[in-house]
Amino acid sequence: MVPTPDSRFWRALFGLGLVGAVVGMARAVETATPRPSAAVTYRRDVEPILKKYCHECHADGMDKGGVAFDAYKSDAELVGQTKLWLAALKNTRAGLMPPKDEGTRPSAAELDTLARWIKHEAFALDPEHLEPGRVTVRRLNRVEYRNTIRDLLGYDFNAEAEFPPDDSGNGFDNNGDVLTVSPLLLEKYLAAAEAIVDKALPKVGSVMRERSYTGKDFRGENGRVGAEQLSAKKPITVSKVVKIDQAATYQVVIELESRGSFDFDPSRCDLVCRVDGQEHFKDRIEWSERKTMRRELQFTWQPGDHVISFEVVPLPPAKMPEVKPDPFGPPAQTRVDARVAAVTVRGPLERRYWTVPENHARFFPAGPAPEDAQGRDRYARQILGRFAERAFRRPVAPDQVERLVGLARQAYVQQGRTFEEGVGRAMMAVLASPRFIFRLEEPVAGARGPVAPVDEFALASRLSYFLWSTMPDETLFDLARRGELRSNLAAQVSRMLKDSRAQALVRNFTGQWLQARDVEFVPINGRIVLGPDAPRNREGRIEFDSGFRRAMRSETEFYFDHILQGDRSLLELIDSDYTFLNERLAQHYGIAGVTGDQMRLVRLPQGSVRGGVLTQGTVLAVTSNPTRTSPVKRGLFILDNFLGTPPPPPPANVPNLEDAKKEFKGREPRLSEMLAVHRENKLCSSCHNRMDPLGLAFENFNALGGWRDTEARQPIDASGELASGERFADVKSLKQLLVGPRRADFYRCMAEKMLTYALGRGLEFYDVETVDAIAARLEREQGRISVLLTGVIESSAFQNRRILPAASSVSLR
Amino acid sequence: MNTPGNRAEARASSLSRRQFLRGVGVGLALPVFESALAPLGLAATVGAAPLATTASGAPLRMAYVYFPNGAHQDYWWPTGAGANFSLGRTMQPLAALRGSIQVLGGLDHKNAAAGNDGAGDHARANATFLTGARARKTDSADIQVGVSVDQIVAQRMGSATRFASMELSCDAVRKSGRCDSGYSCAYQYNLSWASATTPMAPEPNPRLVFERLFGAGGPGERQKNFRHRQETQRSLLDFVLDDARALQRQLAGNDRHKLDEYLTGVREIEQRIQRAEKFGDLPDPQSDTPAGIPTNYGDHMDIMYDLMALAFQTDSTRVATLLLAGDGSNRAYPQIGIPEGHHYCSHHRNSEELMEKIGKIDLYYMERFARFLKKLDGIKDVDGRSVLHNSMIVYGCGNSDGNRHTHDNLPIVLAGGGGGTLTPGHYRQYGGRPMSDLFLSLSDRMGVTGVARIGDSRGRVAAL
Repeated sequence: MVPTPDSRFWRALFGLGLVGAVVGMARAVETATPRPSAAVTYRRDVEPILKKYCHECHADGMDKGGVAFDAYKSDAELVGQTKLWLAALKNTRAGLMPPKDEGTRPSAAELDTLARWIKHEAFALDPEHLEPGRVTVRRLNRVEYRNTIRDLLGYDFNAEAEFPPDDSGNGFDNNGDVLTVSPLLLEKYLAAAEAIVDKALPKVGSVMRERSYTGKDFRGENGRVGAEQLSAKKPITVSKVVKIDQAATYQVVIELESRGSFDFDPSRCDLVCRVDGQEHFKDRIEWSERKTMRRELQFTWQPGDHVISFEVVPLPPAKMPEVKPDPFGPPAQTRVDARVAAVTVRGPLERRYWTVPENHARFFPAGPAPEDAQGRDRYARQILGRFAERAFRRPVAPDQVERLVGLARQAYVQQGRTFEEGVGRAMMAVLASPRFIFRLEEPVAGARGPVAPVDEFALASRLSYFLWSTMPDETLFDLARRGELRSNLAAQVSRMLKDSRAQALVRNFTGQWLQARDVEFVPINGRIVLGPDAPRNREGRIEFDSGFRRAMRSETEFYFDHILQGDRSLLELIDSDYTFLNERLAQHYGIAGVTGDQMRLVRLPQGSVRGGVLTQGTVLAVTSNPTRTSPVKRGLFILDNFLGTPPPPPPANVPNLEDAKKEFKGREPRLSEMLAVHRENKLCSSCHNRMDPLGLAFENFNALGGWRDTEARQPIDASGELASGERFADVKSLKQLLVGPRRADFYRCMAEKMLTYALGRGLEFYDVETVDAIAARLEREQGRISVLLTGVIESSAFQNRRILPAASSVSLR
Repeated sequence: MNTPGNRAEARASSLSRRQFLRGVGVGLALPVFESALAPLGLAATVGAAPLATTASGAPLRMAYVYFPNGAHQDYWWPTGAGANFSLGRTMQPLAALRGSIQVLGGLDHKNAAAGNDGAGDHARANATFLTGARARKTDSADIQVGVSVDQIVAQRMGSATRFASMELSCDAVRKSGRCDSGYSCAYQYNLSWASATTPMAPEPNPRLVFERLFGAGGPGERQKNFRHRQETQRSLLDFVLDDARALQRQLAGNDRHKLDEYLTGVREIEQRIQRAEKFGDLPDPQSDTPAGIPTNYGDHMDIMYDLMALAFQTDSTRVATLLLAGDGSNRAYPQIGIPEGHHYCSHHRNSEELMEKIGKIDLYYMERFARFLKKLDGIKDVDGRSVLHNSMIVYGCGNSDGNRHTHDNLPIVLAGGGGGTLTPGHYRQYGGRPMSDLFLSLSDRMGVTGVARIGDSRGRVAAL
């Protein structure tokens, strides 16, 4: 928690009246300055409504939940309570306040009056000039780093393995505030810069051709047997034909391996290597641990076919050592194998036949560097200018390019070092630079604060990291350079969503919003949860194994992608008549007619409880405990991720749920009964009354999402009532409530989540208007997902930024 | 395997090894202690007891060597007690060094025993050996055991030497797939743990060990190559530091704070480079860089021991571990006429033949260790004593009887004089104390004070 700065200081600094305050989140929540008219309009429009519905518990000496509308010295003070009004807005709209059993409820008109007043008077929001807020400069997270390196250099760097995990904030790991740079990480960035350039960049202008083969490429006479594993017992010859076009000298590097089983085997053989029928060497293969042998042969070859072959010549077995059989295991299957591990044909060895390396043109578009010093510098300037511009994702000042050229020159003027090595050194510096690691943004040229649109390069990056989790491509970059990206925004967004890189949005958004990432490692004991009669995997075991877990994650990702690609309704995330299954998952769900490992679109049978992500294995598993379901976690999950009204965290010293068992005198109670006892405690009831019914609606799904009719040998009652008063009979009717009367809550919640993911910051009070606008459009346009995405992209927060007075006003270049 | 090419290759390989071995110590009459001692002097001025230093001012070294699968009990233990003891069959190679070693009996690793964890004695033996802690039985990401004694000392060594510690292994080829009975392979392939969850992966390749210590390339080129690498890093740092400073001036609020984080990291790396430079020129052993991993296991062990000796001689580090093979190793020893796997033989079930073979394997390992000790004994240290005198080398295994998988009365030899703080030439019997007590006693001698516990330790071992 950051200490609160002196609010007067911030008020002065922001000029607009935004001040810092601290709530229980990583990010300081800002405070609104009401319109001057707010106190007057409060008396006129709002107080009558509050008196009618709220004062019974929140005024005149009552302060339930610590809320009393008459606890302030003046109306002016009351209307300035940002947190209070934000809570009032959320709770009244979600139907949580006034509580359902407290008499009459406010009319729609009254709720609308209240909401408008909060937004436009208390928060003083102007829909035409919405505060964009400010995103802390973001460093690339691991996923973004990997993808950016892939697109920049064509090299797949496994950042997930090399870098420590990123922290998350507000539910997502692309949050600028929590993405820190530790000294260890910086050391890894330096090492990665060296390693990546070393691997990706050709170090020379010309190379010898190399052809590599493995055992698989060597075939027996029938064409079937590969040379990955040749038994010492069986005579055989395997060969490979190498086509040679150029009469020249060639080198053949052969790597052979011998392998023995765990236990001794007396077989022996010779492995004879022939080239074009002539024997070149012979290796003895006998039982041992893995052993490798390497040979280098040299030939002057004429154009045409040349044959490399290996023959297994079995020999009389070695004397069997007299050992008693291993008493600790079953009799072993022993064997001795030879293996052709690798054969590499290098050449022509003569330099005049060498060629430009495969990826040379990617980095050195004009071919090998000229010989003269000036020409080299000019070429380096051209290469590095372009590279830095792409890597930094914005124009680079000439003096900066010059420094890079200097760095390259330092290396390539040295004896024995190539031009490519020098350029590589400068590229390392680019990858280690904060301009690469951080996403730096600038306002449009000539912007005069305090709020200005981000320039087109920043916009291109915002788009590409939102939809693709990677750097802008050439098209976006070109448009930005010409200043035409904003005017082509809609077309670009639709192009980007069709691109395969948009899979990153599916994977990273669902991975975090629905915690689909976690299903790959959530510790759930398959044997206990599924019981002895469950379907078994290929090895005949009942296990929540990786194949099963991946299928669950895929179902969720395919499902979201289907909605994205078809521009379908977000409501299908809650309810639909289809899903994506393979045989394993279909079996798990009890759906017939799906065979094989491939995930595919499946129409659900009439009346199926599946359809929608809430009844997918992913969500049901990540909200469970290792051996049982957790209605509380499931309820919380829905409140947080679908209704947007998460309850506060539990207070300290809450009684343990298991304590409720004592009430049942030796009988094993159902979970729902234990929760009912727990809810009797006043300390627990206000939140559990909201969470438990939602979670208990899913009690027919075990901890892995499989269907069950009983729990603790008693029938399950999945009926319940939402805190807002609507009743449901089972999970199907709950889904109907969520896509029906509570739809607006869901739309707002989706807008909040997507905006958080897109902006890389937590939401503030001023984002309410953006969220509401998107939710209203979703309502008008059948919940289409494109409405959500374009709503986010066109929002003031995504398009603009607040400009803080910097230490100096020099441009970022 | 008798083709001419093959013989030539074998000859080349053994030649380069011989050249390497002969070169070591010849070109280096005396190591570069003066510069290396400077930081220790600094430490002394701020009032702390000098770390890893003998009373005579020479470096004090601590090393741990692990051999796999326990020792055949009948052949391992000496007869007699105290100063009056006779070495058993396995320790005959140490006869000439009897006055420089002590045999320690009655040290246990209770945390390597099954407890509630079931099978997996090999994984536990290995994981517990230097940590004294119980390894969490897991096959996946949430591995956990404890900080190992060498790392406890190394983490306090700071900048006293160019390397805080060195982790070596002769187990180059890893079994793919699963390891021992549901334990992660990390337990079986690592001795050193920087934290309870972070193993220090050991280096099996002699060439990479050598290059890390002394730079890449041939004799005479290494200094240059090392400098080149540092120059590359430095030039990158210079560039990005300028970049970051320029940016920082232009940023505000939290953005500025992010750049501060970045700048802190850059400065830390710079300091490390400067520290390396304080030590002045790198020692350059006037020998060839060893080739990769020798095909003969005995050669591999010898060369790793030699590298450890070289690191001690040049005071590149004072803390080292060497895993000769992970516990449960089923390596065959055709070079001494044993085609069966070590693990297989260790479960001899009282078969005379297999017991003889286990005895031979134990002896083979001991011969390599004895050779190493003789080498250390032959290197003169700055104070005129031998490097062996100024060292504490533990040789042992986390399994005692490989046939029955026991972890009591572990086979442990402590070699060296600890710079005069140890009294070798004894067979000591502790009658059942945690092995971890020995760790505390040795880290005390390294000058690492204030360590209350290591693993399951209960106190210090009094007589050593």
